[in-house]
Amino acid sequence: MLKNVNFFFISKLHLGRLVYYYSPKFNLFMKKLLLSLFMFFIVAASAMAQDRIITGTVTGKEDGVPIPGVSVRVSGRIGGTQTSSDGKFSIKVPADAKSLNFSSIGYVMQNVPIGSGNVINVSLASDSKTLGEVVVTALGINKAKKTIGYAETTVRSDEVNKSAPVSMLGGLQGKVAGVTISNSSGSPGGSTKIILRGYTSITGSNQPLYVIDGVPLDNSSLGSDENYDFGNNANDINPNSIETLSILKGSAATALYGSRGSNGVIVITTKKGASGKLVVDFSHATTITQVASVFKPQSIFGQGWDGTFIPSENGNWGPKYDGVLRPWGAIVDNSQLLKPYSFIKNNVRSALDNGYELNSNISLSGGTDKSTFYFSYGNVFSDGYLPTDADSYKRNNVTLKGSTKYGNFGIDASINYVGKTQKFVMQGQAPSGIGSSFYEDILQIPADIPIKDLRDYKNKFFNVDNYFTPYAENPYYSIYENGSRYKSDRIYGNVNMTLKANDWLSFQFQQGMDVDNSGDRQWHNKNAPSPGSYNDGGNVEGQARAKDVGNVVEESIKTFEWDSKFNAIFKKTFSDFDLDGLVGVTYNDRGSRFLTTAVEDLAIPGFYNLANSANKPTSTETERHRRLFGAYAQATLGYKNYLFLTLTARNDWTSTLASGKNSYFYPAASLAYVVSDAMDLKSTPISFFKLRASYGETGSDTDPYRIFDVLNATNVPLGFGNIRFPVAGVAGYSVSNTINNPNLKPERVKEYEFGGDIRFLNDRIALDLTYYNKDRNDQILPVPIDPSTGYQFQILNFGKVRVRGIEAALTLKPIQTKDFNWNLTYTYTKERNKVLELPGGLEKVIINNAYEANLVAIKGQPLGVFEAPGPEYSPDGKIVVDATGFPIVAAANKSYGNIQRDFVMGLSNTFSYKNFSLGFTFDWRKGGVFYSGTADLLNFVGADEKTTYNDRRPFIVPNSVQKITDANGNFIRYQENTTAISESKIDDYYYPTTNKALVYNNRILDKSFLKLREVTLSYSLPKSIVGKIMAERAVVSVFGRNLVTWLPNSNKTIDPEVSNQGSDLAGEFGEFRTAPPVRFFGASLRVTF
Amino acid sequence: MKKLNIYYKPLVLSAILFLTFGCKKTLDVNVDPNNPQIEKASPEVLFPSGVMSTAGRVGGDLAILGGIWSQFWTQSFASNQFKTIDTYNLTRTDFNGPYDELFAGALNDYYLALKISKSKSDWRYNLMCTVMRAYTYQVLVDLYDKVPYTEAFQGAANLQPKFDDGYAIYEGLLKELNDALAKDFTSIPLTADQSKGDFIFGGDMSLWVKFANTLKLKMYLRMVNAKPAEAQAGITKLYQDGADFLVTDAGIAKFEGTPNNSNPFYEYNVRRLNISTNLRASKTLSSWLVENGDPRRNDYYATLSPIPMNQGDFAASAQEQPTYANSTVIAQSASDPVWFISAAESYFMQTEALERYFGGAGAQAMYENGVQAAFAQTGRDASAFLAPGGAYAYNTSGTFEQKLEQIIVQKWASLFGSHALEGFFEQQRTGYPRTSTVYSTSANYIPGQWVYSRNGVTGQGNFPKRLVWPASSRERNSNTPPEVPITAKVWWGK
Repeated sequence: MLKNVNFFFISKLHLGRLVYYYSPKFNLFMKKLLLSLFMFFIVAASAMAQDRIITGTVTGKEDGVPIPGVSVRVSGRIGGTQTSSDGKFSIKVPADAKSLNFSSIGYVMQNVPIGSGNVINVSLASDSKTLGEVVVTALGINKAKKTIGYAETTVRSDEVNKSAPVSMLGGLQGKVAGVTISNSSGSPGGSTKIILRGYTSITGSNQPLYVIDGVPLDNSSLGSDENYDFGNNANDINPNSIETLSILKGSAATALYGSRGSNGVIVITTKKGASGKLVVDFSHATTITQVASVFKPQSIFGQGWDGTFIPSENGNWGPKYDGVLRPWGAIVDNSQLLKPYSFIKNNVRSALDNGYELNSNISLSGGTDKSTFYFSYGNVFSDGYLPTDADSYKRNNVTLKGSTKYGNFGIDASINYVGKTQKFVMQGQAPSGIGSSFYEDILQIPADIPIKDLRDYKNKFFNVDNYFTPYAENPYYSIYENGSRYKSDRIYGNVNMTLKANDWLSFQFQQGMDVDNSGDRQWHNKNAPSPGSYNDGGNVEGQARAKDVGNVVEESIKTFEWDSKFNAIFKKTFSDFDLDGLVGVTYNDRGSRFLTTAVEDLAIPGFYNLANSANKPTSTETERHRRLFGAYAQATLGYKNYLFLTLTARNDWTSTLASGKNSYFYPAASLAYVVSDAMDLKSTPISFFKLRASYGETGSDTDPYRIFDVLNATNVPLGFGNIRFPVAGVAGYSVSNTINNPNLKPERVKEYEFGGDIRFLNDRIALDLTYYNKDRNDQILPVPIDPSTGYQFQILNFGKVRVRGIEAALTLKPIQTKDFNWNLTYTYTKERNKVLELPGGLEKVIINNAYEANLVAIKGQPLGVFEAPGPEYSPDGKIVVDATGFPIVAAANKSYGNIQRDFVMGLSNTFSYKNFSLGFTFDWRKGGVFYSGTADLLNFVGADEKTTYNDRRPFIVPNSVQKITDANGNFIRYQENTTAISESKIDDYYYPTTNKALVYNNRILDKSFLKLREVTLSYSLPKSIVGKIMAERAVVSVFGRNLVTWLPNSNKTIDPEVSNQGSDLAGEFGEFRTAPPVRFFGASLRVTF
Repeated sequence: MKKLNIYYKPLVLSAILFLTFGCKKTLDVNVDPNNPQIEKASPEVLFPSGVMSTAGRVGGDLAILGGIWSQFWTQSFASNQFKTIDTYNLTRTDFNGPYDELFAGALNDYYLALKISKSKSDWRYNLMCTVMRAYTYQVLVDLYDKVPYTEAFQGAANLQPKFDDGYAIYEGLLKELNDALAKDFTSIPLTADQSKGDFIFGGDMSLWVKFANTLKLKMYLRMVNAKPAEAQAGITKLYQDGADFLVTDAGIAKFEGTPNNSNPFYEYNVRRLNISTNLRASKTLSSWLVENGDPRRNDYYATLSPIPMNQGDFAASAQEQPTYANSTVIAQSASDPVWFISAAESYFMQTEALERYFGGAGAQAMYENGVQAAFAQTGRDASAFLAPGGAYAYNTSGTFEQKLEQIIVQKWASLFGSHALEGFFEQQRTGYPRTSTVYSTSANYIPGQWVYSRNGVTGQGNFPKRLVWPASSRERNSNTPPEVPITAKVWWGK
């Protein structure tokens, strides 16, 4: 009978899905979904309790602090409840119940007999042996940590929120081995970049998959580019709503997730309500933000060029500072400003403001023993370090969750709304002729000109007509007159139904969704120096600044993702063996639609609307849609509770590969051996010892629309600019420059890992060590081909990249007393990757570039080598110079190092004394290089310290020779170079158009850094005080993030962590005139009622 | 365990049903909604694209290069954009853009359009595409000497096409032109819509014939050093067959002047760079115009008294060259035309042909047509200059070389703007304008003579004569020939 029921259930489900996926009536579906959710909450809230109710509080044995999220159930029964955030629970117990069972991640499980009373208070011992530690693994399956045969790291809510970051991973830097987290933006709401176990995909994605309560989450960076960073979508998650965050790095761990899990998975479990009384949690943090580090210009030479003081110059190529009062800037109304010709300390820093961040959260939760609810509201308001709110971020998070049970059937659902508005001041290279870029402008202010004075940008000396140089614009103009605004409304959530068929089998159906409707607008105002004004040629150099015509760009972005899965979950014990696992199918449907319209040359200045121009707006639309079916199975067989073998298999069918080639299978296996359980180690200092080994494969598909060849609407790229059709009323379509490929096969990642977890002296010392080797084969990427084939790229499967590494985490507890505890965690990560294969005839693949610096993949070398022009050398190693004394550029580019770190280390330290806790974290990343577009501009304007070489007196290129040739250009001999670089050419020596051979040394910089990432001091208010405000618990903290940055001496330019080149491998290229990073000082209060 | 199997049967069965029937159709969503499938291509959309692509590059960045190397303009002292060109310091990474776009953009569009036209026996588009393909190819051959031809445009079928000798490519292109001219392309005229898509002649096939003939003449003239007999035979045949040559400008004069729809030289150098004053009047051309009292200096430099910079002298300090601060920016407009072959150029080529092979009969009139057409490009009249004793009066009594010098120098002076690359080519072919033994700062400098760039890196007097094969070829095609220095002449060079 049950059999039939199930069959029917599945068929119906199946039909239902067909209807909904083929139905154009998407809105109707949405309405129904919302309606059913609403109904469900009403039902959940009105479910009535029966029988006896037992309440109580669960606290930690060591610290007496209430433990939220402890699962409480009647022993031997399914279902149960969880403790609320104040550790309280309330459970209905039938008359015949004997005991209650309390279990929670990281605590020893306890069975407490039920007496006659209605109150049971329990204190749980923290689980030193981790035997009962339960972790969330693939597809949200909870597993005892000891049974898993791969590396896994779980981070709990308090660690995530220690320093009140607004992004969920912002507080974890330096804390997890094998996980690289970078704040790549200096602006509120900007991107956080996460990479697990390094890079293996050359041009595809290296991003981990985010899964929230079992549902994949869109993490794209919508609307962002080199100029605007509107953040990545995973940053939408309110960190306060996170219960645990589980990081799965290896393929064996992620194989169940299929194609998108090949770069690791971050599994997020959010807080839910627990039965018991209503619990109110409130937290607030106020944070001051500042610029963390800015470039340090040379302090010897001031404004001018070629050694001469020129008041209209944007360079620091003038004479040495002499401190003498000099007039500067334009003469306006027969007056001119006066200032000493001397270096201004902290010029940039003092031009910026303190920003602030307000982060407030409130949650209400509770429930009965059958039904729970959880509601939370979070609000973030953040204004960055630039004046005005032109760099700001506002976010509202609303979460509503509920669950209920009817006998063997359980249903829970959550719906989340995220509304955000972000404003961003353009970084990177300005669109010429349209408007300028703040950071490019600020770099072009000689170090003797007080930047902060320029803020009065309408002042007659600093306005469009009379700003001191025609080569750049007043940076404050950009802040006040240009701008951008990104608005997004996003809804994500899921409905989850479970049916327990019998004591060993249950079924689960989950439907998730993630829909985002966003849009952004970018604008530049129009301006032009008045005819005859200083900046229209009235300066001593006769230079006229080109007008800015202004523009408006309006972008509409819609993304959607629907994810369904059906699982049969089983768990059974046969004498010495335990078997648990699942079999399931999944269907994923996702896509996006972009519509971008732009118009340039405003008719009415200061009015930003697509209609406000004599020019016709240009529009582009891009739609992407993909679907995927998956079928999978996983089983873990445990022997005597110390040996565990897990086998996983999955098959995917994707829409993005050609029919007939779109089905692919991949397996994984892992073995966990708990040595300390298998043999008696009591006589040794070893308190726990586990070995693990795993092998996993994942396959992945490709982007949509790479199978059939297409035409593109014609857009002829010029050296700069374009000719875009339609032209003269004629439409043009051109053969795409990329050959697509119907023979693509899926990419495949094969990974094995070995590891161990060993603890000594009752867990006072714990070491977790992992070695892994991951190969990504058959990478799908647009391979550059000779344009004489008619194309520039072909989509091919090719190449093999290997990454190997070790990850180590050492935890020490040197002091553990009743009042004082000292905990120390040290993490070490070393990754070595190598390009093993490129297709025949191809020496390299360019990943990213600026000017002539290329980030390339070269066979036999680490992925991401910097190549740029270098000098030609004579056979005895001397630099060959030309007739002008400048080095000759070698025909082939030279290597300038690669992106790979020597190592990454983190050190977290916590002291706790009674109610006080003091923690700090260091993050040290050593080795690797990056390209700096800021350095490029600083060298151009002579602000870089390196440009003071030889005190800027004429010099002969050190160790150089000249090549003597005959009239026909045949080589005769080398002779010592005697041609000096004259004073007027010293600036040319530092710029690529005149000294291509040597300038890249000053632009490709060491990217090492050491940061004091986090310092927190918190104090739990004693019960006596807390009780007075009717609260259960209150904690006040002061904290700082990103407080101190140490950079190597060779880099006085920019923190290498920031980048405007995207959040993937291409972003490792470096930065191109990016906003400097931020540091945070704040205080927070958390109260639980 | 048996029970388990039975239990899962429905699940497995439904999964199979689901995946076989649901899957295939559901997964059929991979047809690009943003870009049409290539099967939907037609000459009507490809041809205008290709033409604009040729115009965008030949009349854009290659015109900038051509005009610097032809010494019409020079890099400003106060900016950086074109220093590598003006110092002859171009390496394989510098000029990938035109190579990439002309092959993968323009020529590949012509290639597919030709394939479709031939399959439909549409000989109108066949001729139009063949002429534009030959024109574009010839520019590449003249810049790079050898490029892939016989094995090009095969896409994935041949990822590493071999390089063909320039002369062999010329022969192939001439044959393609002859074949296309031999078809019937007149009996079915282009429709109004199709004519609109012919930016060059508005669908007038007789003008396409003239363009084809003039292009053939140009290619034969290129051969006069390397293949004199073949050049003479080809030109003689053209005249014997009564070929009509261009009397109007062939090119694009339809730029709206709006963003993304402007003259490519303007769009690149003025609208899209942060400094729109990158290019200044070069002493070389401006001093020649001034010396001859040529009114075109007012059109090229927007002033009758241009303040020039010496070619490539951007590094001079304000003390050394105080006038540079006020040096004249070249005059450009967003709606400037891009000429592929101008009427003036056609006349000058005919003058040369008449002098070379037909004893000079009619050469003077043809020369005067040329100068008049050159002046007419800027709306000026050359009559006074051509009158006996006038600065540009034809040197009827001169030797052939003297006449050639006069013809080519006049042609050179007419190529200012988006047509500048031709001035560079013609100097490589004929040696005119002459090169100066002194720099233009010298009192002995003769106006109009080319000077070796002040900051040239190739060694005094070693002018650039070609481009090196770009990285996009060298790094992706092992058949790319070994690198030849920028100072080595191409196959037809003098």
